[in-house]
Amino acid sequence: MSQFLQPTILLLREGTDTSQGRAQIVSNINAVQAVADVVKSTLGPRGMDKMIQTGPKVTISNDGATILNLLEVVHPAARVLVDIAKSQDDEVGDGTTSTTLLAAELLKEAKPFIEEGIHPQIVIQGYRKALELALEKLEGFSINISRDSPEDKRNTLLKCAQTALNSKLLANTKQFFSELVVSAVEKLDPNILDRDLIGIKNVTGGSVTDSFLVDGVAFKKTFSYAGFEQQPKRFENPKICLLNLELELKSEKENAEIRIEKPEEYQQIVDAEWALIYEKLETIVKAGAQIVLSKLPIGDLATQYFADRNIFCAGRVAQEDLLRVQKATGGQVQTTVNGLNPETFGTCGLFEEVQVGAERYNLFKNCPQSRTATIVLRGGAEQFIQEAERSLNDAIMIVRRCFKANKIVAGGGAIELELSRYLRHYARSVTGKTQYIVNSYAKALEVIPRTIAENAGLNSIEIMNKLRQRHAQGGDEGRWYGVDINGQSGVCDTHSSFVWEPSLVKRNALCSATEAACAILSIDETVKNPKSDQDTKMKPKGQPGRPPMGMRR
Amino acid sequence: MSLAFDDYGRPYIILREQGSKKRMKGLEAYKSNILAAKAIANTLSSSLGPKGMDKMLVSADGDVSVTNDGATIVEKMEIQHPTAKLLVELSQSQDAEIGDGTTGVVVLAGKLLEQALTLLDKGIHPLKISDGFDRACDVAIKHLDQIAEEIDIQQNDHEALIQAACTALGSKVVSKRKRELGKIAVTAVLDVADLTRKDVNLDLIKIQTKTGGSVEDTRLISGILIDKDMSHPQMKKEVTDAKICLLTCPFEPPKPKTKHNINISNAEDYKKLYQQEQQYFVDMVKLVKNSGANIALCQWGFDDEANHLLLQNELPAVRWVSGTDVELIAMATGARIIPRFQEITPQKLGKAGSIREVQFGTSNERMLVIENCQCTKAVTILIRGGSQMIVDEAKRSIHDAICVIRNLIKDNRIVYGGGSAELACALQVLQYADEVSSVEQYAVRSFADALEGIPNCLADNCGLNPITSVAQAKSRQLAEKNPRIGIDCMELGTSDMKEQKIYETLSSKKQQIQLATQVVKMILKIDDVIAPDDY
Repeated sequence: MSQFLQPTILLLREGTDTSQGRAQIVSNINAVQAVADVVKSTLGPRGMDKMIQTGPKVTISNDGATILNLLEVVHPAARVLVDIAKSQDDEVGDGTTSTTLLAAELLKEAKPFIEEGIHPQIVIQGYRKALELALEKLEGFSINISRDSPEDKRNTLLKCAQTALNSKLLANTKQFFSELVVSAVEKLDPNILDRDLIGIKNVTGGSVTDSFLVDGVAFKKTFSYAGFEQQPKRFENPKICLLNLELELKSEKENAEIRIEKPEEYQQIVDAEWALIYEKLETIVKAGAQIVLSKLPIGDLATQYFADRNIFCAGRVAQEDLLRVQKATGGQVQTTVNGLNPETFGTCGLFEEVQVGAERYNLFKNCPQSRTATIVLRGGAEQFIQEAERSLNDAIMIVRRCFKANKIVAGGGAIELELSRYLRHYARSVTGKTQYIVNSYAKALEVIPRTIAENAGLNSIEIMNKLRQRHAQGGDEGRWYGVDINGQSGVCDTHSSFVWEPSLVKRNALCSATEAACAILSIDETVKNPKSDQDTKMKPKGQPGRPPMGMRR
Repeated sequence: MSLAFDDYGRPYIILREQGSKKRMKGLEAYKSNILAAKAIANTLSSSLGPKGMDKMLVSADGDVSVTNDGATIVEKMEIQHPTAKLLVELSQSQDAEIGDGTTGVVVLAGKLLEQALTLLDKGIHPLKISDGFDRACDVAIKHLDQIAEEIDIQQNDHEALIQAACTALGSKVVSKRKRELGKIAVTAVLDVADLTRKDVNLDLIKIQTKTGGSVEDTRLISGILIDKDMSHPQMKKEVTDAKICLLTCPFEPPKPKTKHNINISNAEDYKKLYQQEQQYFVDMVKLVKNSGANIALCQWGFDDEANHLLLQNELPAVRWVSGTDVELIAMATGARIIPRFQEITPQKLGKAGSIREVQFGTSNERMLVIENCQCTKAVTILIRGGSQMIVDEAKRSIHDAICVIRNLIKDNRIVYGGGSAELACALQVLQYADEVSSVEQYAVRSFADALEGIPNCLADNCGLNPITSVAQAKSRQLAEKNPRIGIDCMELGTSDMKEQKIYETLSSKKQQIQLATQVVKMILKIDDVIAPDDY
């Protein structure tokens, strides 16, 4: 009988999950909403924090990118949101929550169109057009600060840093930290502004206002051997020798073997080994080094040898710290002591070992080529400092961007509302479906001020109406009206109350949010391979597939 | 987390292992966080004050410790809950920064959270609460600066320091001997302190414990005590005018680090090898002896042969001295650490007035005391006590006292204890509250209530009626304008803490209020908890 049966065509493996068509788009949009909902309440100066436990590690954060990453989103469409938050984080460092919210809101606005049967590509085209217009307008609205005097510029940078810190745990001490951040960024080479050259060190204990900036490098005392305490702990204008060399009595070659024929030769071998290490140490001392830092261990023998000769040494210095010392002091890292040249030594104004909280820290201050700075953060609990570090990171990135781009806009939802007003105005002048779509884009932009107001516990509907009215009056007066979380009326001119952001942040946020929304709208089929699904189930519990976000630089 | 379904009845799997994750949001999250933190604070609150009780903590391995020290209790409780862990860290950072007041800081944080909970019930936005707390905290800190008094630490044989140490020791199991122990701690700190730089390196005070005897036998040794004895029982037990040779190489034939083989082909060579080995020992001992040293301390072990030779040459020696001890001895005696025998020179030897072996009670355990060192910078406190638990607790208590004295040397301003400083701050904050026109007013007022919680708790622990005694103290503070009125815990008949001589350092009190506020603010800012479901 079998020959009469139609053969079944197996295109996909059994268990493959496929879904397609319009329903798929709607379903994806819903998933994105669910993810955006999680970060929604972190937006704005009254935004709340999230506590996420992954295994034994607990993270408390307000940073959109950090939260999304820790959530371990597996839904394929929703993952797009995580990726745009990350790209915003990498590119500008701040504004990750607003990017996510904006993308989700754009999709939400698109949902009725899709359901009504408008082709997704039309929506996409409309959004792209709206983005183009918005970016153009954003450029026109931004205020250029490059012509300002240095003091004014510094002031602007301070304001931007404060805006970035507004929503974080450090909000109450933002004056203090904005100073810290701006001074740190000013230390850097203005042409490169390498973020890696600003170190942040955490020491628990003390109040946050005990944090301080070192115009140079600071790192924790490394593991030391007996004899370390006899070394001098303070130098002025020292010669610093940087090494990538192990200073220990050890076998020179891993697999070497010695055959000794006569007992007399025994002592020679022993002496030879000692001679090797002594030769190295002597070269360093002869070259006149006063501080010896090495990435590899410095053994007890070397520690005592240096102690006898009033030299300070530290072994096992972390790579990044050594790199910063190198930049700050102008020294060069040597991998051998052969032909050690005093020219390769670095120097700094003052070297000191000091007590910070329960730890001892090595400080290299007043470096001649100081193109690096270190912020030592203090605070009550481990998580507190970690979150403070993330917040400072955002602020540093913002200041850096501001330094480069020189253009700012007013925050507090003001710029979004102004763009929204402009787009609405524009929409009336076009015919066809695009009118609807551009209008929706304009409506989606309003999510930012609305959420800020909602999070602050204000009546968002009332405030949105007030704001729309202000902006509709047009002109320069109404342009910068945004949400005011402190005052009675709920709205204020955010430009004159110094809520400033670099326009680049907004630019990037708009671009990536629109791109993400368009990408999700254009997916009409998902094919999910059953194998990959099983893989995730096989993984032992409590071991996240992705490394946690804490390592972010 | 519960699952959502799309229009076709399929569940959304948005997060990894979504079904097994628990999520709490909004008010539920605040409340659960606050309750967890409060539970910790409640555990500690009965340990506060001079009549606070101790906790017995049994670890997973069955080790028992009995303590009254806040930081130690929370550390050994092995807390799992993420919010409660914040309080543990709070206590530990107070310990790291100040060393004392670790119980107080947690209790204060607990009281603040308790107040926050009632405010939340009133419907006040959590960030408004935390703003209010922050403003109140600033007021309290400023007021502390005002009521603080400078004391002269030198005056009257360092009486003020001793009193401050006594206050710190007052709440501990050793409180009966607080004056003696306080004196020991003060002398120890002053011995190593650099008064001009106002710096005290606590590493130079070694605290050694030995069970047996009683707490009264606790002594201060102006030198170093190491828990070792001479390598050979027949060696001299005492060396006066010691010249110390500090070695970091073993009394053994040297070994090259490279892998090596010795091939011996005939009996003659073997004999030679043996002789050479013997020669090493002879040479070593000779080198030490020739340098003029009359005692050798070594970080490593001795070969039996060497030990015997040392005895023959009347050279007392100690083996397996730990690395930190070697360093401490080097600092104290001015010795240079010698990495190999060929480098021994008379200049590298350290000098000490006497080194002797002391025996304790009937036990066979002996310890070495190195006294009258050349540059006497290091001191040792030898703590005795009936049981391991008492000794451990005494060690922690003395550590607290030492920290207090160090802080006073750094900053000689004090406030008075017995809850008086908190009460004074509470009154000030309350006054300020009426000036605040916004919602924060409620939070500021609650902050004052929370501050009052400390004297309340003190009175409660002492068996007094908390409400009456706090109310009395408060009214007297107001009537007499005297910020030193506190709770008369010891029932001495006076509530003026200046008369009772209950001193606390200003830095500790300030830190307590600041840290507690900081952590409470952090907890109040969390509105969403995502965690695996299994706890």
